Amino acid sequence: MCEVLVKIGQPVPDFELAVYDPVKNDFGKITLQELKSQKKWTLLFFYPADFTFV
Amino acid sequence: MGVEVITVSTDTPYTHLAWRKHEKELHDVKYLMGADSTGNVSRMFGVYDPSSGLSLRGTFLINPEGVLLNTECNYYNLGRNIDEILRKFKANIYMARKSHEVCPSKWKDEGDKTLTPSAQMVGQVHEALVD
Repeated sequence: MCEVLVKIGQPVPDFELAVYDPVKNDFGKITLQELKSQKKWTLLFFYPADFTFV
Repeated sequence: MGVEVITVSTDTPYTHLAWRKHEKELHDVKYLMGADSTGNVSRMFGVYDPSSGLSLRGTFLINPEGVLLNTECNYYNLGRNIDEILRKFKANIYMARKSHEVCPSKWKDEGDKTLTPSAQMVGQVHEALVD
């Protein structure tokens, strides 16, 4: 389907995502590098589109 | 142990804000809502569908060292089971602490039976599980 850059058991290349933060009610950005430096686990949960059903 | 849950679609952050404010089901949501408008992050994880410009229902668990430990991907019409996601997440956190143990398929939570692979266990997994 497309060029996949991640493999199980391998380091994930750094990425950046624009985010909406519901707690702060504000916009921002997050990178994997920041999450790693905060010693956090990251769970990415992809879904097709807002305003849909499941 | 901190975890950052980030939901990601190819919508913009503005759409995320509008959806969260409008949809009453989402009023308790505190997760960061990622906006992958270019589809680049979805492509990187192999969940981008170029025929629609949307992301498939992929779930990815990355440890604090940045290593990918678990993936799951469903097509559009199948929702994910939060119990199974939590099971896999708890198992990975447990095994990060106890690296010599492995979690069998029926493992659900801390305290459940794990296995510690050894030469003696080869061919004797059934006995080890019922032990």
